[in-house]
Amino acid sequence: MTEFLQGLLSNINPYILQIIVNIGIGIVLALGLNVITGLTGQLSLGHAAFMSVGAFTSALLTIKLGMPITLNLLVTGAVTALVGALIGYPILRLTGDYLAICTLGFAEIVKVVFLNLDITNRALGLSVPPANSAIPMPFVVWGVAILAIILVSFVYNSRFGRALKAIRGDEIAAEAMGINVARYKVQSFALGTFLAGVGGGLYAHFISYINPSDFGFLKSIDILSMIVLGGLGSIPGAVIGAGVLSAAPEFLRFMANYRMLVYGALLVFMMLFRPNGLMGGVNFTDMVLRALGRKPHLKTVLQNREVGK
Amino acid sequence: MKKVTALLLAGMLAFGAAGCKKKEGGEAAKAAGDTIKIGFLGALTGDVAMFGKPTLEGMKMAAEELNAAGGINGKKIEIVEADNRGDKQEGASVTQKLISRDNVVAIVGDPTTGITKVAAPIAQKAGVVLLSAGATGPGVVENGDFIFRNTLLDSVAIPACIDFFAKDLGYKKVAVVTSDNNDYSVGLSQTFRDAAKGKGIEIVADEKVKDGDKDFSAQITNIKAKKPDVIFYSGYYTEAALMMKEARKQGLKANIFGGDGLFSPKLIELGGTAVEGAMSALGFSPEQATPETAKFIEAFKKKFNGAEPGLFDAQGYDGVMMVADAIKRANSADPKVFKGELAKTKNFKGVSGTITIRDNREPIKSPLALLEVKGGKFVLKNKVPVKMD
Amino acid sequence: MNAQGTHMFFQQLINGIALGSTYALIALGYTMVYGIITLINFAHGEIFMAGAFVGLLLVATFKMNIFAAMVVSMLVCMVLGVLIELIAYRRLRKSSRLSALISAIGVSIFLATLAQMIFGANARSFPDDAFPVRQIHIGDADISTLQLLIIGVSALLMVALEYIVQRTKLGKAMRATSEDYNTAALMGINVNMIISFTFAIGSALAAAGGVLVGVLFNAVSFNMGLMAGLKAFAAAVLGGIGSIPGAMLGGLLLGVTEVMGVAAGYSSYRDAIAFFILVLVLLIRPTGLLGRKIQKKV
Repeated sequence: MTEFLQGLLSNINPYILQIIVNIGIGIVLALGLNVITGLTGQLSLGHAAFMSVGAFTSALLTIKLGMPITLNLLVTGAVTALVGALIGYPILRLTGDYLAICTLGFAEIVKVVFLNLDITNRALGLSVPPANSAIPMPFVVWGVAILAIILVSFVYNSRFGRALKAIRGDEIAAEAMGINVARYKVQSFALGTFLAGVGGGLYAHFISYINPSDFGFLKSIDILSMIVLGGLGSIPGAVIGAGVLSAAPEFLRFMANYRMLVYGALLVFMMLFRPNGLMGGVNFTDMVLRALGRKPHLKTVLQNREVGK
Repeated sequence: MKKVTALLLAGMLAFGAAGCKKKEGGEAAKAAGDTIKIGFLGALTGDVAMFGKPTLEGMKMAAEELNAAGGINGKKIEIVEADNRGDKQEGASVTQKLISRDNVVAIVGDPTTGITKVAAPIAQKAGVVLLSAGATGPGVVENGDFIFRNTLLDSVAIPACIDFFAKDLGYKKVAVVTSDNNDYSVGLSQTFRDAAKGKGIEIVADEKVKDGDKDFSAQITNIKAKKPDVIFYSGYYTEAALMMKEARKQGLKANIFGGDGLFSPKLIELGGTAVEGAMSALGFSPEQATPETAKFIEAFKKKFNGAEPGLFDAQGYDGVMMVADAIKRANSADPKVFKGELAKTKNFKGVSGTITIRDNREPIKSPLALLEVKGGKFVLKNKVPVKMD
Repeated sequence: MNAQGTHMFFQQLINGIALGSTYALIALGYTMVYGIITLINFAHGEIFMAGAFVGLLLVATFKMNIFAAMVVSMLVCMVLGVLIELIAYRRLRKSSRLSALISAIGVSIFLATLAQMIFGANARSFPDDAFPVRQIHIGDADISTLQLLIIGVSALLMVALEYIVQRTKLGKAMRATSEDYNTAALMGINVNMIISFTFAIGSALAAAGGVLVGVLFNAVSFNMGLMAGLKAFAAAVLGGIGSIPGAMLGGLLLGVTEVMGVAAGYSSYRDAIAFFILVLVLLIRPTGLLGRKIQKKV
């Protein structure tokens, strides 16, 4: 099995593989934030901090205990979710931009604290040994990414997910309908940070060296851009946003030094022309089903309606 | 459940489609063709571009000089550049790109330790030489026999200078300032603390700043109250210059000294008269320079309208020259062959110092030059030999 | 506390107030734009940076007087701010606020990269004689004329802004726009004009801040906008975002706590202390120190 997978990978250009894995990690992170910001409507500017907690937890589990990667990622996710819930419990009472600045502030605090801890090796960071896994890392990353897509899709259509959507729509109305807003918010935060932690763990093992400064404000903004660009609250949107933005720096490479200039301008123009994101207002399932011919095209539906008149 | 299946399908499709693009560039014989490709790894944009840009400038100068002289073994040198923004994920991607798309035989860079640590295992696995022109921290060359660096090591420079500081200059009370988010600085401060033990040096203040800070008033007020003889700052020139401006404003007379991170014409440009007396220990000296260094400085000034070269220019230049030298001696541009010659580099007359690669592939530069800012220029204060064991 | 300790305390207090007023200077523009169109204008920090560079260019290259340079820089940034609003935000006014936020981040990346391409990756400094700095002794502690100027300018601007917003007809229109965009338009207020005006004022403030802070810290760099913007944002929220006196108060409080943290020997936790105070204050007063209570409508 291991050899077969290794063989499969050796057929892929390592540069392309690197980009594919970056996209996979991006998807896990974006989906986590999508639960918090997209589904529940709580703006977080500190997602990278939870990624950081996850990355260091996961790295330490491998370094100190040599834990197998699957168990490692689960424990990492659980630890991060616990941290997320502990942080979320007090600050989720805040609303809107006050919450946003609090998450940002918390992210800065995590960064500074990690820069001062011996266990994270301060600014010198940690070298992460290869993951204890029979399956090559790229497959682990994409396996996790696909599991994350399934998990979040499941949540979206569950009773829990509907409650979160109700909170996003109107907190007071949701409360009036008997939804325990505070509890659901913390749970959604825990779920989102769980994925952030897992994403951080994958990042740590794939990149092989981590440093507290890697997980700054700009990283949080990167992840936020993914979900807004893809379409807030949309799972395919988060996946596509993660794909586009993880690959964009590489695709724009031919522009040499103008690259980041174009990247900035692209963000603005994409928002201007698709303010609700690439997948905003698009029903992805219908789109796929239509493409597969399992559901009539919108045009035909409308035509039939005309005929029916 | 339909939705889930559809999504799963889409995900796999995306993976598969991307996977189909395999083997682009292929394993074309790396040394073939009329050119020898050397990759540049570093940031050209973003917060650490100030280290990446000069490294690339130096590398390009080296390539131009080599090519003007007919190249190496009849082949021209080509520098392949790509910006990594100082981001680790991008650093990894760029390394992979240089190796698998551009088929470079060697990579020079990254000037920061962090990205070098990310790139080193990749280069080692692919069998391409990586020579970092700036990484000073531990855990770099340990990655394997394809990994080198040409910087002055923290663990060598400071212990070598400490006697001169304690005895000749008579510094007893030192304020140590560390840039908290800079791995080079954190490492260097620790080295200093270890080296200062038993030398009669008392560390009277231990302050932290951050790369990118602009306000140092609070730290300077703290330091001033401790009345140190000198400030040891282990970070880079920008913060050093701003800190000294603040120190002079508050009437703190103590000088600053530090590692090679302080050496840059920008230190004087930013600091003006406030950095008079600042000292930096590094592997070469613009004054009483070796012929190689003098020639480099002159060529640099000519190329950049009279601008003085900094440390990273010199190290980038040396990086390419060392690789070229090894290729010439091995008479082969195959990394598996010339890495052996690179490891045997001895008393290489580089512009950033005379470099010897030891058995553990760590570089030694001897003698060290202790520079002092005097009259708005770096002048040589003392030469310190380094013990080679 | 002995004499030495008191002296230190006062000196650090002055350091803190001076630093705090630089935060306040940037936070004023931030909070004003937010107050009118509830947009977190992340590009504000970059306008601050642009203002500093324009000032530097005028002083260093054209040998202009620092105050003249400041005025020109304010005018240039007014145009810049209005243009940014026109291009990147106007069309998004009716969309989700997050779209506008991402657009703002795009603008900020664009401007920072542009500045790096034009001015290089290294920090640049104002000439030493740009502003005749003198140290003034207050008791045992020192304060520079420049620090005094910054404290004075930010206090003055706060009063002026508060006057414009609360007492003038224009301010009334601004408040109306802020209260209800559509109703304001129906009442015959040219909301587009009002919003452009808000951006012009906010950007001019950022430019003034850029020049003064650039001279004070002696460094202007392409990436100075990000951290300054974040701190200013924090200051604005701390004081109650949208409140002009709140921005001033928030800035000062943030500056003083940061410096006092360093004075107490926690220089490595400097940024954490600032944000910790912020989080703490918000937990006790969820809308900041001087922020209006959010009326939850059912």
